[in-house]
Amino acid sequence: MTDVHTPREQAAAEGEETVSFGIAGTDPDATPASTGTGPSAGWLRWGWRQLTSMRTALVLLFLLALGSVPGSVLPQQGSDPAAVQQYYASHPALAPWLNHLGLFNVFAAPWFAAIYLLLFTSLVGCVVPRTFKLAGSARTPPPRAPRNLGRLPHSASFPSSLAPGAAVDAAAAMLGGQRFRLRRPASGDSGHWVSAEKGYLREAGNLLFHLALLGVLVSIALGGLFGYKADKLLVEGQAFSDTMPALDEFHPGRLVSGSDLAPFSLTLDRFSASYLTSGDSRGQPSDFNASVTYSPSPGAPSRTYNIRINDPLSVDSAKVYLIGHGYAPVFRVTDSHGNVAYDEATPFIPANTGTFLSDGVVKASDASLGFMGVFVPTAVSVGGTLESAFPAPDFPAVSLIGYSGNLGMNSGIPQSVYQLNTAGMTKISGSPRLMLPGQTWTLPGGRGAITFVGVKQWVSLAITYDPGQVPALVCGMLALGGLLVSFLVRRRRVFVRAVPAASGSGSVVTVGGLARTDASGGFEEEFAELAAELAAQQKPEPNNQSEAGA
Amino acid sequence: MSVNLGLAQVSGDFLVAAIVIYSLAVIGFAGDFAFGRPRRAAAAGATVASGERAAQLATVGAAQGTALGASAGAAEASGVADGAQAVPAGAGTGGTGSGDAGSGDAGSGDAVLPARQVPALRAIWEAGPWVRAAVAFSALGILLHVVAVVTRGFAVHRAPWGNMYEFVTALTCVAAIFFCYVMVRYRAWALGVFVMGAVVVALGLAETVIYTAAGPLVPALQSYWLSIHVTAMTLATGIFFVAAVLGVMYLVTDRYRARVAAGKAQPGNGLLARIPSPAQLDKLTYRTVVFGFPVWTFGVIAGAIWADQAWGRYWGWDPVETWAFITWVLYACYLHARATAGWRGRRSHYIQLLGFASLTFNMLVVQVFITGMHSYAGVG
Repeated sequence: MTDVHTPREQAAAEGEETVSFGIAGTDPDATPASTGTGPSAGWLRWGWRQLTSMRTALVLLFLLALGSVPGSVLPQQGSDPAAVQQYYASHPALAPWLNHLGLFNVFAAPWFAAIYLLLFTSLVGCVVPRTFKLAGSARTPPPRAPRNLGRLPHSASFPSSLAPGAAVDAAAAMLGGQRFRLRRPASGDSGHWVSAEKGYLREAGNLLFHLALLGVLVSIALGGLFGYKADKLLVEGQAFSDTMPALDEFHPGRLVSGSDLAPFSLTLDRFSASYLTSGDSRGQPSDFNASVTYSPSPGAPSRTYNIRINDPLSVDSAKVYLIGHGYAPVFRVTDSHGNVAYDEATPFIPANTGTFLSDGVVKASDASLGFMGVFVPTAVSVGGTLESAFPAPDFPAVSLIGYSGNLGMNSGIPQSVYQLNTAGMTKISGSPRLMLPGQTWTLPGGRGAITFVGVKQWVSLAITYDPGQVPALVCGMLALGGLLVSFLVRRRRVFVRAVPAASGSGSVVTVGGLARTDASGGFEEEFAELAAELAAQQKPEPNNQSEAGA
Repeated sequence: MSVNLGLAQVSGDFLVAAIVIYSLAVIGFAGDFAFGRPRRAAAAGATVASGERAAQLATVGAAQGTALGASAGAAEASGVADGAQAVPAGAGTGGTGSGDAGSGDAGSGDAVLPARQVPALRAIWEAGPWVRAAVAFSALGILLHVVAVVTRGFAVHRAPWGNMYEFVTALTCVAAIFFCYVMVRYRAWALGVFVMGAVVVALGLAETVIYTAAGPLVPALQSYWLSIHVTAMTLATGIFFVAAVLGVMYLVTDRYRARVAAGKAQPGNGLLARIPSPAQLDKLTYRTVVFGFPVWTFGVIAGAIWADQAWGRYWGWDPVETWAFITWVLYACYLHARATAGWRGRRSHYIQLLGFASLTFNMLVVQVFITGMHSYAGVG
């Protein structure tokens, strides 16, 4: 990224007025009084100039970097709402203030939007005029050759066997052959010279880079308006269709309604995870694989796919990702009359993502029974406490605490399926009950029984649709391309002047060179080669006295 | 695929050998500072000689060509006090025979860097026994380092940058190679002790504090994007690492020269008088950042593509993503600052170093201590 906001600072550095590149910058320090169109218009113009000045852009860039910092240090509502709740709990006094400042949702906060919108406005204010300028400069020839080429940063001189006019003609032919744009003296101009310029692509690349950044912003907005993201937890054997009621969580874009969802349906056939069984990183997962059967639209033939991390399922413009997994012990609860009141795989949430020790609850409200449980895939006893030794289900066990009474599920107050409200319930028996698959715990007092039938696994899937994705990628690549062009291409001018030699025959040719940017460097070599080539072309006699300038 | 522990052991041994050899290179560079022959005097002589030659040839503006022909120290010859603005006596004659390397700085600055008319090997030879030994040790160290990285890759059957230890090992390798290229190309021997010293320290920390045994990757990292994204990030980090060292050198020499100019310090033949002029360092830093910035940009884009594939969104303000963005913005600030009046020179270098600080913070603090989707460091 070079200088979109070019301005006069650069021109000042150019030194030679005659060879400045003619990109007249805005003057951020010009006072509004200097404009003659009335005070308010003057102030507006002054404000616009301030906004589009390089210095303002620099400050806004700083603010953008600074403003992003809290977004990484504080928990963010968008990525981890639970952590925000936790922060509220641990910093009750500070949290509301931070929330007022939008610091729990930095990247959606109005002040953050203000920074980047101002930055992009500033950018547009610079890029648009410069695009016109570039288009204009493609039609205007390079400037006249300065009088004294020896004062340019690069210069060289050599004697030529040709007369001044012919020497310049030959040089012009050579420069033209190297795709320089040329300017020769007009009818009113005196002297023999040629101006040559090359590297207009540099500015084009620079402008492309900045416009592409604008494109990235628009693409992100596109995704925010028309995209959606949904989550679904699915136990092995379960199916769902991509409709709003079937989803656990649905975050639609601003202009998305439920009917815009891709109408596919999907069944989780099997989930398998493998883990390292030896070495220092024993227990580290090595592979996850969710086998699914899906049908892109109702009635369409079903297909199978293995969703893995880094390998999502693409179905009807949406993508389905595997983002989490866990265990779902299957419980059967019978009531006091022996009727089955509950028979389900119950997703438990991993409390330890290394060992998959998981927590969950069973709510058999028809039997007025509730259970809080801990599931371990590979049970070991550590000092009398149930722990998990390994994340794979090698020796699964659950430990349950039973409650009887009203679960309050008909009270109308929504409840989390992962929490048991024990306020109106009484605890059954003393210590937690450890169960292995197939075991049944017959509850005391004829309250019923619970059987730990077996273990299934669940996966959590993310379903996303983002129409801004491809445009964002295209703009990103364009930005990179523009950046490379603007760094690699050098805008440079070469001038050649010839005057008759003092000795009478031939001429003395002076070559001057000026590179506008030093980004890629190497102009000294290019200039030296060019000068040497020119000298060789017009070499007067065997004893060559030419000396290239660099 | 199982890990080849024997090969991993070989990789570890090569890395230790590389650290030892690098340390010898650092000693060589330091020895050049302490006992090497004063190149400044030699360079001054070269400039006088070339000035005479220029006069004899009666050519115009041959300035840079001649000074460039001298050794790296030639730029110094225009006077320690103010190399960038020195107007040599010959310049008054309308450019005829004007100049030495210093005069180019004030204008477009294209002439600042000493040229390479002398072949690289001869330049190394001429730089004295200490530099000769140091460069040889650096080359050997790099060779061992590359072998260590490559064998680690073969041992674990993947790109060898899947955890923090491997990442640091690879990025220091990039930094060492890139720096040696810069050093030889610009004859900047005096920078060796600083950059190679930093490489040795980083490798030492990698070996002791964050060592992680060779192992397979977690599923999230099992993607060919690991090779693309992390390679780009490693390269860019290595390049920015060199830029940061150059930036610090710039600030130190600039301050030293300002003090000399103000009469507060003696323009001696000490350590500071020997490293390249601030103008040279400024240019070198800029070119290094210009090289690193597109690589970083590419790395971020590749990361976004991978994030889309693995996590279902291309950008999610994960802490590591956020800091990659902050780093990008800060380096963008640096590039803009160099084109803004009042922000060139020292200030732009502060920004550049701030960028590197955020990069380092991201690597060492955010990835290790702040929980996010990029928590793969495997440290602790």
